[in-house]
Amino acid sequence: MYLEAVGNQIVGAYPSMSHPTNEGRICVRGWHVHEVASSLDRLKSPLLKADGQFREVSWDEAIGFIAGRMKEIRARHGPDALAFLNSPRCSNEEAYLLQKLARAVIGTNNVDHGTGVYCNNSINVLLDMLGVPATTSSISELARSEVIVVDGVDLARQLPTIGGAVLRAKLAGAKLVVIDSRRHRVAESADFFLQLKPGTEPVLYGAMAKVIVDRGLMNLPFIKAHCRGYEEFLARVRDYDLLAAAESCGVAAEQIEAAALAYARARSAAILYSTGIEARDAAPVEAIVNLALLTGQLGKEGAGIFALTEHNNLQGVCDMGVLPDRLPGYRKIADDGARAEVEAVWGVQLPAKPGLASRSLLADRGKGQVRALWLCRYDPVSTAFFGDAANVLQQCELVVAQHLFLTESARYAHVVLPTTAFGEERVTFTNTERRIQLAEQVIEPLPGTSPAWQQLTQVARALGADWKYDSAADVMDEIGTVVPFYSGANYANLAAEYGRQWPCTKDRPLGTRSLFAEGLPAGGFKFMPITRDIQVTAPADYPLTLVFGHSLYYWNQNVLIQHSETLKREYRMLLLDYPEGFVEMNPDDAKQLGIRDGEKIRLHAAGGSAVTAARVTPEVRRGAVFVPYFVRQVQQQIRGTTENGVQLIPVRVVKEAG
Amino acid sequence: MKARILEHGDVLKIVDLLREQGHEVFAPFAGRGRDTWFDLVTDENRGRVQVHLPNPYYPPKRFVLPHIERLMKVRKSNGDIQIEPTYRDRKRAIFGIRSCDVAGIWHLDRFYLGRDFRDLYYEKRRKNLFLVNVVCTDPERDIGEECFCPCADTGPAARENFDLQVMDLGDEFMVVAGSPAGEAFFANPMFKQATEAHVEKRRAILGEVRKRFKTTTSWFPATVRYVSQGTILDKTWEEIGSRCLECGGCTYVCPACTCFTVSDRQIGPGEIERVRIWDACALSGFTRMAGGHNPRRAVHDRRNRRFFRKLAHYFIQRELSMACVGCGRCAAVCHGDIGMPSVVEMIRRATAENDKLQPV
Repeated sequence: MYLEAVGNQIVGAYPSMSHPTNEGRICVRGWHVHEVASSLDRLKSPLLKADGQFREVSWDEAIGFIAGRMKEIRARHGPDALAFLNSPRCSNEEAYLLQKLARAVIGTNNVDHGTGVYCNNSINVLLDMLGVPATTSSISELARSEVIVVDGVDLARQLPTIGGAVLRAKLAGAKLVVIDSRRHRVAESADFFLQLKPGTEPVLYGAMAKVIVDRGLMNLPFIKAHCRGYEEFLARVRDYDLLAAAESCGVAAEQIEAAALAYARARSAAILYSTGIEARDAAPVEAIVNLALLTGQLGKEGAGIFALTEHNNLQGVCDMGVLPDRLPGYRKIADDGARAEVEAVWGVQLPAKPGLASRSLLADRGKGQVRALWLCRYDPVSTAFFGDAANVLQQCELVVAQHLFLTESARYAHVVLPTTAFGEERVTFTNTERRIQLAEQVIEPLPGTSPAWQQLTQVARALGADWKYDSAADVMDEIGTVVPFYSGANYANLAAEYGRQWPCTKDRPLGTRSLFAEGLPAGGFKFMPITRDIQVTAPADYPLTLVFGHSLYYWNQNVLIQHSETLKREYRMLLLDYPEGFVEMNPDDAKQLGIRDGEKIRLHAAGGSAVTAARVTPEVRRGAVFVPYFVRQVQQQIRGTTENGVQLIPVRVVKEAG
Repeated sequence: MKARILEHGDVLKIVDLLREQGHEVFAPFAGRGRDTWFDLVTDENRGRVQVHLPNPYYPPKRFVLPHIERLMKVRKSNGDIQIEPTYRDRKRAIFGIRSCDVAGIWHLDRFYLGRDFRDLYYEKRRKNLFLVNVVCTDPERDIGEECFCPCADTGPAARENFDLQVMDLGDEFMVVAGSPAGEAFFANPMFKQATEAHVEKRRAILGEVRKRFKTTTSWFPATVRYVSQGTILDKTWEEIGSRCLECGGCTYVCPACTCFTVSDRQIGPGEIERVRIWDACALSGFTRMAGGHNPRRAVHDRRNRRFFRKLAHYFIQRELSMACVGCGRCAAVCHGDIGMPSVVEMIRRATAENDKLQPV
């Protein structure tokens, strides 16, 4: 992507025709990304809060204050009283230094990224079953897939660049299977659209595996050579029954059968799912990997598992170890050998106990343990749909916010450090196909701001650490020594073409387009038996299922949206049409209940009730009610009463008078 | 129109002359892969200006209609309201604008200047813009996979609306003057007399180049009729709509798309600026009216709108040209392959299927 600058202002953005991932196609956010740097709302000075009011202070004063308070809190309460969170939009260099500040300087593993709650399920499953925590293939390979399965992600809204690759593959002859409880844009083009009941994915995949086993379509040579745990898996598969599964999932048995046969018979079949905001437990991811192993759909051009990361650098922040239980490069923090290797580079001893995850931090400060919170470009008050960030931030003794803007979260901060924007610094991001890319600097930073990685360095030095990074390139050089699969990713190499896909090592400086392309690890993959224990019958009092964390409208809370004129209009439009927020219902359900589009309704759950408006749309399956995650009232009044993090809640909907 | 001959090595001297006259000159440069762009010519980069290269993807329409521009500042002081318009009227030239994009600017002229209301911001930019058209003659470097200007009757050689036109004849360039300002350049002795043989050679090359377009065609005439008569089935529009991912890209890269939105934003105490920004009919907020009614809420209604606007007879009559110049950018930018050529084909195919007779 190119940014056009006139003088020292970014005035336009457009895609590169030759980029191997998007080939000249970007989404509406990309076309407007230039508006962020030139927003009039940018912060231009560090802010320090005194008597509830922010005042502008010098960098020295701000950094000195932060270091002083952090020292005090650590001395009084220990290093685990501090925690560090970032946004999945942070650069690799920022992410790396943030976790290094936490681990090496403060001495805590309390580091996590804002989307960790869901994404980390996918990372753990993939690491366990495949040994790699990322998409196995390249987006451009989808053009060669014979069958593409899209599971639970509205590609048109959330990842249009990949949605486009899927649509074009379909136009070129690939068969498209869409598994989703929503009839979204890409589903319109599907050959097989399996509109299942929310939360029944593992049953559906179990039934598909059963069909494949019954027809003898397993890839036994592949399984024998590369997989463990097949017998146990097979034993569980026999528990599944196609007709019973069809009943539980609400999908016709013929559809399930046809999708399973298409997938198993394809020369190359890809499965795409999102690791992001959507409800994503471990079980459906395990079921997806099982299916790929069963049919040997790995290590071939056009096949593979696409664990799509919904944010520009969700892959990168995980690679950099912004995880409470893993070091940079995904090695377990509890692993003595792994720690020793990193300790040798950093020259300090590292804490061995895994830290607190974002969910626990934003629920109750890890049972009140945490007193200082660092937010690197992260705005949980507006974007986290779990916990109660505003309350947590209020209770903290120290909140440091690094951001372009005075976000909702930054308002609760004690110190705010203004950062540089996209186009004002030279840093790297890693996309969903493992491509480490260099974002070039095209203009001078706005006066009064500085790169977030530099701010982290200044604080570390103020705390007595001997950090010497003159540029983000120096940080990447160190990353190369700590993260084995980044060892060839220096800036000169990354600048040469369109970035490099990891593993990008000294021996493979050009990177790796497709994992396992040059041979599959012997016995390196593992099946995971999945027990059929799903409960899907709704209680009679609460016949509908409320689905939370529905990310279709997720982008409405992106920083970009709030600072782009056109996108802001698109967002306002939703708020104007539905001033009290909305939940989405199927027209048949709505008709039965006498509810029309835009009407006020009340949702009753076992633990609470909430008033909102109904958006009636055929995109939603019968029996499901979707809550876009910016509708906080519903979140708090219904979900707040349940165990934290429950994704599916039985409800009853009634029309509300007035 | 008058034509002269220029030695091969002298073609960039046109850039130099324009700069000497005080123009900011924008010209195409080549980057990585097929990436090219228009950039301001400086002493440092002048030698890297390219004549033959893929047409830059980000269209030169931004030199008359910027991606984002301030229109005015409004200040409130002592109960008084002061309005200060922001005009940009520097002398500018585009060297190397392709024929399709020349047609695009002419189309914008008709829209912004051709009727009762003249857009002052556009007019000031346009009046100060000098266009040096380069004819696409190199099938490898100039003509992209998606180019279809012969179908839109805009190229490969523009017939009008440029100041100078440069065409590579192999050993030398033919330069055609399209305006008095362009013709004034011929006073410079580097422009030599052209002969009948040169004119003949130009004709021969153009005849050859027309055959060298690649795979993309767009057979407009019947589609214009179907669109104008409203005989296209909803089913066809729905099929088109379900492949739209609402990125707005087709509008942003279209040399003939005119739409913008206007927004006011605070720049200081008691002071706002009014900005104008490219807008796109793919976005659902584009047609939403105050009060909540949206005549084009469904995505296929919005796609329908795009092609109606570009191909319906009513608009062609009003602006004297289709709002499609055959540059092929929308085909390259589209996630779901519903750029102009594909849509024309889908409409024609659907209509042909419709026409099938049932034997009884």
